[in-house]
Parts: sequence; C-alpha cells; structure tokens
Amino acid sequence: MKSHLTKIRNTAAAALFSVGAVCAAASAETLNIGVLLPSPIADVGWSHALVEGFNGVKEKYGDNVKFNIVENIQEGPDADRIMNKMVGDGNKFILLGSFGYMNSGLKLAKRNPDVTFVHASGYKTAKNFSPFTAKYFEGSYLMGMAAAELTKSKKLGVVGAYAIPELISTINGFTLGARSIDPEITVDIIWLNSWFDPAKAQASAKALIANGADVLFSNSQDTPSVVSVGEEEGAYVFNLNGSMKAYAPTKYLGVVTTDWSPFFTASVDGHLNGTFEGRNEWLGVDADVVVAEEWSADISAEMMSKIKAVEAEIASGARHVYAGPILNQDGEQMVAAGERLDDGGILGINWHVQGINTPLPK
Amino acid sequence: MTPLEFFLSGTMSAATVFLLAALGELVAEKSGMLNLGVEGMMAISAAVGFVVTYQTGSHIFGFSIAAVAGIFVSLIFALVSITFLANQVATGLAVGILSLGVSALIGKKYESLTISAPDPIFIPGLSDIPFIGAVFFQQNIVVYCAILMSVMIAFCLNKTRLGLAIRACGENPKAAEALSYSVWKIRYGAVAFGGMMAGFAGAYASTIYTPLWADGMIAGRGWIAVALVVFGTWKTSRIFLGAYLFGMVTLGELVVQSLGFAVPSQFLTAMPFVITIVVLAIISADMSRLRLHAPYSLGETYDGSESR
Repeated sequence: MKSHLTKIRNTAAAALFSVGAVCAAASAETLNIGVLLPSPIADVGWSHALVEGFNGVKEKYGDNVKFNIVENIQEGPDADRIMNKMVGDGNKFILLGSFGYMNSGLKLAKRNPDVTFVHASGYKTAKNFSPFTAKYFEGSYLMGMAAAELTKSKKLGVVGAYAIPELISTINGFTLGARSIDPEITVDIIWLNSWFDPAKAQASAKALIANGADVLFSNSQDTPSVVSVGEEEGAYVFNLNGSMKAYAPTKYLGVVTTDWSPFFTASVDGHLNGTFEGRNEWLGVDADVVVAEEWSADISAEMMSKIKAVEAEIASGARHVYAGPILNQDGEQMVAAGERLDDGGILGINWHVQGINTPLPK
Repeated sequence: MTPLEFFLSGTMSAATVFLLAALGELVAEKSGMLNLGVEGMMAISAAVGFVVTYQTGSHIFGFSIAAVAGIFVSLIFALVSITFLANQVATGLAVGILSLGVSALIGKKYESLTISAPDPIFIPGLSDIPFIGAVFFQQNIVVYCAILMSVMIAFCLNKTRLGLAIRACGENPKAAEALSYSVWKIRYGAVAFGGMMAGFAGAYASTIYTPLWADGMIAGRGWIAVALVVFGTWKTSRIFLGAYLFGMVTLGELVVQSLGFAVPSQFLTAMPFVITIVVLAIISADMSRLRLHAPYSLGETYDGSESR
C-alpha cells in the first residue's frame, strides 16, 4: 500500500520537475546535466554525496552547466519515465543514482548515443554508459583496525540494509581489518531488508548494543539513526558517505566517505571533447574516491600511524584487502595464501568471512 | 541491559506507536467512520511534532501541536465525508496521500536532523528492581499514558452514555438520530479524536521512539494500526494485545538476528505481515464473531435526509 502512495506522490514531483526542465533547456550553449536520485537530498548520505560530486564540475564550468535534479524517485516505472523525459528535455549528461535504474537506463543510452550516462552501483556498460562503484571495503578495512583497538567487549555490530555483494564485501572488509589487529574479535549483523526505515535501524543498533557490541557500523543508512544511538548508548560508530560527526560528537569513530568529483569531472570532460568511453569504473583509495577521515581522537597515535601505513599500502597496490589466506565463516578456505580474490569474486561476493557470527540470509 | 531485557522493554516502546494510532482509529470506526488516512495523519504530526520540538526544545509543546495537526487533518476528512457525503474510503486515501506529501514539505528543511528523546521516568524503588525494573519501569511516560488510554477508551465505549451514543452512530445512525443524538456531531468528534491519537502516535514516533525526522519514516506503521483495529475485532483489549504482539514480532526479528540464529532475515521481516494474514484469516473464518463486533454501518455515509 505504502509504495503506491509514494509513487503517486513522486508522480506529482515528476510533473513539477518537467516544467522546470523545459525552462532549463531553453538556453542552447549550456550543458544540461540530469540527476536522478533514489532518496531525498539531506545534509548527509548517499544522494547528498552524489550531488556534492558535481562540485568539481560546477567550479570548472560555472554557468556553462545547468543541473536538473530529481530526488526521491523509486526504482521502477516512475524512474523510467523521468529519465526518458530528461533525455527528451535535452539533458546530455545524466547521472542515474541507484542500482535499479540500470536496465532502463541502458536501453535509453543505446537509443540516444549522443547522451552520456554514469550509473551508480551497476555493472552493465555501453559505449556511452559507465557504471561506477566505490571500493568501500578498503575504507571499512581501516575502520576495522581502529575498531579493534577501541572495543573492550571484542564484539562489533553492523546494521545493514540488504545482504547484497556491495554491502557484504564492505562488512567483510571491516571484519578482516578488525581481525588483522585482534583475531578474537567477532561481528554481529542485523539486516533491515529495507533501504529506509530509521525506526528499525535505531532498534537494531540498540539490539546489537544489548548483545554486547561496543563499536557499530552503520552500513548504507542515509539517516543518522544508528549514529545517534551510538552517542546515546556510548558505543563508537562509523558510517559511509558523508560525515555524521555532528550526531555523535564524542563517539564518532570516523567516516568512509566517497568523493566522486574526480570521476564526475573527468566524465563531463570526456563527454564534452568526445573522448568518453563507457566502462566499469571501480574506484577506491588509490583514485582518491574512497576516503577514510574524521578519525576519533580516542584512537592512539600508534594505531593511527599503523592505519595510515596500511592506507598507503592499499593505495600503492602493495596490500590487498582480499589477500589470502581468507576463511569463510564455516572455516572453509575461500582464498589461498599468496592469492588475491579477483574483482569478479569481490563484486559478486556471497559469503561471510570468519569472525562474522550472523549467517548470511539466503 | 541484557538482550532479553532489551527485547521486552523495546517491545513496550515499539508497541506504543501502534497502540496510540489504533485506539484513535477504533473510536472513529466505532462511530461508523472508516478513516484510511492514518498513515498520512501520523506522518504530518510526526513532521510537525519534530519541527516544533526541534525549535522550542519542549517535548510537551511538540506533542500538543502534533495533536492539533492530527486533528486538523482528520477534520478535512470529516468535512468531505460527513458534511459533503463523499465516499469514506476514497476520501481517507486522498487525505492520507495529501498528508504524506505535505509532511515531506514541512520536514524538508529538517531532513535527517535529530533531537534528544526525553529521559524515561524513574520510579524510586520500582525502577531499581533487577530485570523487572529495566523492562517495565524505565519507559517513557507516553508508554504508560497509552496503556492508561486503552483502559479509559474501553471504559468510555462500553460503560458510558457517550460510548453508547458513539456506538449507536456506528451501528445504526438512523436509530441514533431518532434518540435525538446528533450523528454528525458525534462522528465529527470521533474522527477528531482519532486524528488527535494519530497525532500523538506520529509525535511519539518522531520525537521519542526515533528522535529524528526523515521523509517516509512512518514506513507503513499507520497501515498496521488500521489493520490492528480489524485484527482486534473492534475490541480494545484485543487491539491492545495485537499492538504488543506486533511490537514483539518487530523487535524479535532484530534480536534473533543479533544473536546469530540461523533464521533467514527476510522471513523475519515478513513475520508481522504473515501473522496479520493468519490472524485475519482465523477471525474471518468465524463470520458471526466478526459481524458481532464490526460496526454495522461502518464506512457508510449518512445524510440524515429521512429524519429531516
């Protein structure tokens, strides 16, 4: 029932948008950039980070670019219609901000070879269609190291949205990082099976704390729900995509943030001088896209320098988060010593590493 | 706090959202008004309650203004469906959808901000008892108020003249009119009361249970409240039990996951809805019981033309 209501509401938003877009398309010289987002642009979170990613483009091109942003659009027919409208209204560069926009976006790209698409979290490509994802696991590995030093109970907790490879690989990275410091550490996960339910996220955070966790990982929560519980209940907490330190001034462990500017600016450049090439963009610490920062002052200087050293090793390629030997949670060897899990293996990961108590939902 | 203590005390606070909204809807339905806009009323009150509490720092003020917002929205529904005799289902849905949109608008500037929840009450002696104290006597005052409200509403509906009048309007408005009750006044009052309770539920959700505002944060809880009224076959005691059962299932899902039991989380997420369907099926199997408790004229507009 609820989804229908949201749909109707969003349709109204879409109608309003098209009026705006027509006005925007009037001036011919400027590049119109369409941005389609799955959640509201708040002060923090996923959509916010994507919009911020265009700051580089804004600086470079100033008034020569115009943005048409539509937020809070559910994946499905609504999104399809709006992205079609975006192309019809003359937007030549389009950002699709959610995994589920992939198939219809790709069709649209093939029909409109003069329009360039960048698509968040997908995997399909076309000549003018580049999916991009962040190697969050590189950042969460570093957070895991810090968590290992600060935990007293040796129990860490994760509130996750859905058990999909991108989130699993991030949680695995976190666990591997923590256990690289202290192999006794275990990790509990609560899957919300929802991208958005702040009340449930808070209750989950409290449940994890009641169960002994004293460092929390707020994975893919666009609201500070989990972060504020951490502050309230005295558990360290970190999150992805944008600092939430304001919500946990004393208990904020840090943030694994994404800075899309280098990638977006390069893509817009490519579009304008005709060199854009559609390919899978999988960007991490080395590309300055994944950045771990705002570290808690409670982390010792010694650990901090250790973390910085590992960060540099990851950036240079000397160290790989998924370097063997890695066991899965049943103790079976998944990556042999001396080997690295290949990209396909990480992008499609469907197993938990050793140390995670929660079984993977199947 | 142990996981078990957390589970039980969390159940009480989770249940309160459902209980407040369902009690309001019960009174409205008892008077014959099926208001499907509960989700919207809760959303708007959650936004208003949050904004007011954020700006003034007073939870009591936030709660009161949220109740006023709930009443205001419910009166739009009442005006269209009672005075202008529009279909109740359509009107309720329309007002509900409108309110969801307006709530996003009101809360736009406050997206993802947080406030601090008021401290739970502390009863010297009782709150110190191990286990029992942590579970039952360290809750927010609203949790106890909601329990008290259910007793009062049960008493009012079943034992007082006012309750009789409300029920008469829901069973047979013509007869109520003949007894010189003003059907429209009573229905307006019952709908407004439902709006106030939805307002409390919304404010509780955004300022106490999850002290933050985010568009869509009611996340279907209003619909569960509507379902609870049917689930409880229009009886206060059963609605009370239903609300606590729902709270327990929602919380249980999270606790079971955090303890690492090998139960698929998708199955657990579906549990509240599975239970609703099962219970509804069981209740509906006994038609006589349903007919006995469902207000006979529920959802029917009454224009009173025959008595004029």
